[in-house]
Amino acid sequence: MPTSSAERTGGGGSALATRGLVAGYGDVVVVHGVDLDVAEGRLVTVVGPNGAGKSTLLKAILGLSRVMDGHVVLDGDDVTGQPLELLARRGIGYVPQVDDVFETLRVSENLEMGGYLLDKSERAARVDEVLEIFPALKPKMRRYLGTMSGGERKMTAVARALMLAPRVLVLDEPTAGLSPALTRVVLEEQARALASHGKAVLLVEQKAHAALEISDWAYVLVRGAVAKSAPAREVLADPDMAEIFLGAAVRDGGVK
Amino acid sequence: MKLLIEAIGFGIATGAVIALGAVGFSVQFGISNVLNITYGSMMTLAAFVGYAFLQLNVNVWIVMAITSAVIGVASVVFNRILLEPLKRRGTSFVGIIIATVSAAIVLQYAIVVFVGATAHSFGEQSGRTLTVLDLVFTTSQVIIICTTVALMVGFHLLLTRTKIGRAMRATSTNRTVARACGIRTERIIDFTWLLSGAMCGAAGVALAITTVSFDFTLGSTFLIYMIAAAVLGGIGQPYGAMVGGLVVGIASQVAGAYWSPAYQDVIAFVILIIMLLVRPRGLFSAGAVTRRLANT
Amino acid sequence: MLTLGSSSANGAFQSYILGSRLPIVVALLAAMVVSGVLGCVVGVTGLKRLRQDYQAMIMLVVSIMATTVIGADQAIVNGNAGLSLIPNPLASLNGSARSWGYVALVAVVCVVAYAFLRRFTRGPLGRSLRAMRDDEDAAVAIGKNVVAMRLMVQGVGGAYAGLSGALLAGFIGGWSPSSWQYVETLALLTAIIVGGIGNDGGVLLGTVIVPVLILQGVQFLPQISGHPGLVEDFGWMILGLLTIAFIFVRSQGLVPERRSGSRPPGSRDLDAPAFAPVPVPVPVPVPVPVPARVPVPVPVAAPVPARVPRVSARVLDRTPPVPAEGVQGEDILVVRDLVRNFGGVRAVDGATFAVRRGSITGLIGPNGAGKSTVLGIVSGFIPASSGSVRFEGTEVTDVAAYRRARRGLVRTFQLPHEFGRLTTIENLLAAVPRQRGETAMSVLAGTRYWRAQERELTERAEQLLEMFAMGEKAGDLARELSGGQKRMLEVMRALMVEPKLLLLDEPMAGLSPMLSERLERVCTEMRAGGLSILFVEHELGAVERLCDHVVVMAQGKVLSQGSMADLRANKEVQDAYIVG
Repeated sequence: MPTSSAERTGGGGSALATRGLVAGYGDVVVVHGVDLDVAEGRLVTVVGPNGAGKSTLLKAILGLSRVMDGHVVLDGDDVTGQPLELLARRGIGYVPQVDDVFETLRVSENLEMGGYLLDKSERAARVDEVLEIFPALKPKMRRYLGTMSGGERKMTAVARALMLAPRVLVLDEPTAGLSPALTRVVLEEQARALASHGKAVLLVEQKAHAALEISDWAYVLVRGAVAKSAPAREVLADPDMAEIFLGAAVRDGGVK
Repeated sequence: MKLLIEAIGFGIATGAVIALGAVGFSVQFGISNVLNITYGSMMTLAAFVGYAFLQLNVNVWIVMAITSAVIGVASVVFNRILLEPLKRRGTSFVGIIIATVSAAIVLQYAIVVFVGATAHSFGEQSGRTLTVLDLVFTTSQVIIICTTVALMVGFHLLLTRTKIGRAMRATSTNRTVARACGIRTERIIDFTWLLSGAMCGAAGVALAITTVSFDFTLGSTFLIYMIAAAVLGGIGQPYGAMVGGLVVGIASQVAGAYWSPAYQDVIAFVILIIMLLVRPRGLFSAGAVTRRLANT
Repeated sequence: MLTLGSSSANGAFQSYILGSRLPIVVALLAAMVVSGVLGCVVGVTGLKRLRQDYQAMIMLVVSIMATTVIGADQAIVNGNAGLSLIPNPLASLNGSARSWGYVALVAVVCVVAYAFLRRFTRGPLGRSLRAMRDDEDAAVAIGKNVVAMRLMVQGVGGAYAGLSGALLAGFIGGWSPSSWQYVETLALLTAIIVGGIGNDGGVLLGTVIVPVLILQGVQFLPQISGHPGLVEDFGWMILGLLTIAFIFVRSQGLVPERRSGSRPPGSRDLDAPAFAPVPVPVPVPVPVPVPARVPVPVPVAAPVPARVPRVSARVLDRTPPVPAEGVQGEDILVVRDLVRNFGGVRAVDGATFAVRRGSITGLIGPNGAGKSTVLGIVSGFIPASSGSVRFEGTEVTDVAAYRRARRGLVRTFQLPHEFGRLTTIENLLAAVPRQRGETAMSVLAGTRYWRAQERELTERAEQLLEMFAMGEKAGDLARELSGGQKRMLEVMRALMVEPKLLLLDEPMAGLSPMLSERLERVCTEMRAGGLSILFVEHELGAVERLCDHVVVMAQGKVLSQGSMADLRANKEVQDAYIVG
């Protein structure tokens, strides 16, 4: 069931798109020709079984894994293989799956680094705004990240990524290790709200149900290829979805 | 008693030179995560570059400044052409150390090929002597001590108070996230090598000034003191390296005076081993202890 | 692991022993013993768990220092003048017969040493050592005594270095500290790099090529007039450049390492540095350090301990692990007044709770409540500031983490700690305690001694992999697995340790629904078999389905406990969660 780009973006133009993206590490191809569109104001989620290549796809977009073929397009410009720092300057925010913070820096310094490109007064104002979103971080600003729990790390990481107020936000499992309450905060109040405020949000999430409920569009990635691309509600309601998902996972996991 | 005071005085002077070298080494190791054995040979190179300028009748302190710049640039080039490509290929930590050992030996013997294995000297540069609390210093020693202290304070403020200093620490901890913040990490790394290389150059010249004569093994023999000082103070901590340099300098000079000059190295070595046993992260590493906890 | 330091230190010291006019065999053995002990002394500096870079640094520094120390100590070894006229062990022969006789002797010793080393590096013992190299925390978590292992690696490495140094000293008939320098260390490193780290055959090749061709080869170049010794200087430069070039172009060496898959034991290949002890009989000192594999001091056990929980793919018919040791229903773990400070922060502030034998107990709470810290304290990875941990009625608060793992208190990590350069199945096999192949006997008796057990364990590991639908990944290197697969591996590996109480730290995070479901099923079935589980998790659905009893923590304290249904109704708990 191929879909057109216009359908996938809900009619608007793509802020971030990939065309026939083939990527991997060394000589190993992990992602096989993925077409993906994220428009401004849309929340797009990539779901799929473990090892399907979701993280590799994100890394290819961000210039962190090897792109062997295809294109990454940001605001109509080809940015394939451009270094991450340039993408960041062009408005992409990124939260990696693990190693997502500066462990030897304090929370305050992490946020400050997040606002590296801002000038001093802007940065201070932005820190306050971000802390409004994560009030739990407020009393811990002086702590070093290395001493903090998994959830606190994740909060800091997302807060750090929000510092530059990116137009396109790429989140690799932002809720892993978060309590249910915080998961809700990050998905509904953060990811959803950001999209509603006109940002393009690309999300990879294992908590497929929770993520799909708030998403506009979903890609089901299986073995490095898009197995299904449809409105999130459709994927969620699809009685076959569980089977596609689980069935694919079983094949992918290697039960002979 | 007189012997002890003399030894302490000499130890402080030696300690300043050690500290100067150790700060560069420590910051280089701490920020770029490379244990750079070539640092010793770079110091030797600095001594010979300085020697060359000195032959042109340039003032010795201007020589030190010029040499710092030269070695700083050389360090950036060294990192760019050798270490960064290796890192990009995913060479293991030990592999990179072996590469720096190799480079150290190539550089050391290249120096031999060009200038020979004979001893050189900066000549008499000590100037008038000063007496502070029974400790006797030459003018050049005082200048070196002051330079060291100034650079140390500057480095510490740079790392903790300035944006670029924090960006250096951030890049060191997590390069990917640093890039995601829009930090041009390659420039930050270059800057780190430029600064630490300049310290290396200054230390090389300072060492050449304070020793009677030197040959191509100057830096590689001195490396042990700097490593000991850097570890004692905690890797990546400028103040730590200063205190470490002082302790190592005084301890080795005192031991040398009372025991045998040949045991100066042994003292540095013993300090290193004891530190590693008792407090491997050094005396001044409050913030860095956290790295391991994060894994558990 | 680099054993360079001990190599040069010992290369020097053993020669001293040679000088005391002992018969050759005794001298060689004595050299090995002294060097081995020295290696251990050096190894003690590594007792603190240091970063790899610190360890490498120590080794380098020790090697430089040892030369200086010996050079300085006039009284013991006559200083830089060295010992001359060490009697040639084959003095009764003369002329070229003596030289060739010595070469033959060296060859025989090498063959024996090499054969011994292969026994070490192949098989389960080598696997455990490689596991330790990849991730020490994880090695501790599966009950490996990393301190003892590292010491023995140093000891055996030192012994080999001593042996090679002794042979060298015997050959050149004298010794002084200057016959081993930092440039010679480079020659050795070059040999290893050129030959290929992790391939003993390759290193053998490298040790022949590098010294013979490069260092001896340059001797035949015409001397440049006016610059005596210039050619040697170029020789060293070439050596350095060659090393760098090899690290760049062919870091795997001439004979690259092969990936070891789930092939039958015996055909395994290793990627750990396995340096061959080959002192080349030329006047270039090439003592070779051996990061050898050493037996872990575990008692030799019956092939499969009777109380091992076994897993089979179809039915999880585990033999209950608690035949006589305990009755269902008593507390397997009691935690009392646990406190842990980090700097000024109280991460855990007087937590008290218990885990019943044969139950699954959930540990939930908002982020930063101290759950993972509690898990760290219980497993022995984080020392408690105060309070006590009792496991099966015994006080274990001060027991080392690896010992707790051996007693059956096994943890997983929140972030995967896989042994990256081992394959998936090797990760599982390495975790099995009391393996025959890990003992001293296995080195003496060879493959036959452990092959049968290994086959059995492999089968068990394969069944476990099938259960988690990862059979296809058995031969893949663990570092190449995806994030979720690494998490599964983490759990599977812990199960291979045969735990009585399993501590799971957010195992569901990052797992696909199918794998989560599988994991839940496995947990339930393992519980039916008698396993107790302490389960830190945010996914409350899973907690509700799985846990018999749930402990809620907030701000380092136990807020409440009971069944999940009770807790859901509890206002205090709701608040804590919403605030978090």
